[in-house]
Amino acid sequence: MKAWLRGFWAVFEKDIKLELRARYAINMLLLFALGALVVMAFAVGPTPLSARVQAALLWTVLLFAAAVGLGRAFISEEERGTMLLLQLNLRPGAVYAGKLLVNFVLLLALNLVAVGAFAVLLRVQVAWPGLLALTLVLGSIGLAGATTLLSALIARAAGGRGALLSVLLFPVLVPLLLSAVEATRSALLVAEGWAAATDELLTLVGFGGAVITAAVLLFDYIWLD
Amino acid sequence: MAESASIVNLRRYRLIRNAVFVWLTLVVLGAFLLRIPRIHILEHTARNLYFHVPMWFTLMAAALVSAYHSLRYLQSGDPIRDLRAREAARVGIVFGLLGLATGIVWARFTWYLGTSLWWNFDPKQSFVVIQLLIYGAYFVLRSAVEDPEKRGRVAAVYNLFAFVTMPFLLYVLPRQMESLHPGAEGNPAFSDITHPIMRLVFYPAVLGFIGLFWVLYTQRVRLALLERRLEMRKATMLEAKS
Repeated sequence: MKAWLRGFWAVFEKDIKLELRARYAINMLLLFALGALVVMAFAVGPTPLSARVQAALLWTVLLFAAAVGLGRAFISEEERGTMLLLQLNLRPGAVYAGKLLVNFVLLLALNLVAVGAFAVLLRVQVAWPGLLALTLVLGSIGLAGATTLLSALIARAAGGRGALLSVLLFPVLVPLLLSAVEATRSALLVAEGWAAATDELLTLVGFGGAVITAAVLLFDYIWLD
Repeated sequence: MAESASIVNLRRYRLIRNAVFVWLTLVVLGAFLLRIPRIHILEHTARNLYFHVPMWFTLMAAALVSAYHSLRYLQSGDPIRDLRAREAARVGIVFGLLGLATGIVWARFTWYLGTSLWWNFDPKQSFVVIQLLIYGAYFVLRSAVEDPEKRGRVAAVYNLFAFVTMPFLLYVLPRQMESLHPGAEGNPAFSDITHPIMRLVFYPAVLGFIGLFWVLYTQRVRLALLERRLEMRKATMLEAKS
């Protein structure tokens, strides 16, 4: 268990250090999300949007940004030729958990920036900031869980074909998208709030848990040859 | 890699195939010829029950079979399991498309009569669309990998991963969308609104279409197995030549 934890932390630390050095993934993620938001805001123009549409636009951008920006976690190992070292030295679960945490941290950073830009550009009034924050965190857990497994799958098997990740990811994430949009809508409306979003939050917790459990179990089969 | 020996008892297969054909012929005759109660708006479209609903059952059966064989493939690595998972998914897609098509047309001229709607986010229809998207992605993934063993493993992992998210879909969709299907919230249950004579045809139809799935599926599995053996023989012959 101790070795597992140390391995997990080592993977996480290494990736964060590399990321801080090059800042490629985070910059791409943020700029993609900002670019998409700006395009969307300009396309919509000054028309006032309903809370449902605002929530839908926000989550669509987050989903696309994740599909574009988080696919590199394992491909970069393949490119550097370090895949074999990880396979030899660490338990598969520790690698998955480390990469999952990296992706989760990246998503949190993305959320901060994207929600700020979104609130300004689309003139969103957030009635329940705590609820919005919790929704984003819970949604990011499920999103990171699914993206990490599927990006490993693509890096190991298909040589990292970029668009494949979104093809695989979107149908799997529909339950997450629907619950997150609904909870976000409740967070934007004064009349709704926590009570209206309880079921959606529980669904997000359950979805994140199920996805990560399944991913940990399945990761062994794609990680080991 | 373990090699599978002969996988099917041909006599039993032919027996079941012929039984399914006779059975389905009777079902189709019963579906069109038996008198059914005439209900306003629904009228004779009610007969679509015998075709539309079994497609949905069959898709679920195919998804179960496919996921089961994916799991067994990961455990054993036997290539036949991969072929089985693939062919179950492929035949499942056909039944899903048929179920979707019969459903859309039926809904257009009964539920959405007087509107110009073809699609109104019914939870069950949406579920089938997403299930079909998942299988579409499954085949795209398969075509992206060259090495058969790796392809089998990757495809099995994706199939099972998608299978895990299915219950959430079944729970989330009805919460967000209104359903006009019988048995949904506030709607009468299926057994309360169907005449006994309709159930007399409906249940055999479900069995018959699942039987048809079984026939098509085993047929395709054997075909795939033969193709695989042929390829392997070709490879060994080429090796011997060189």
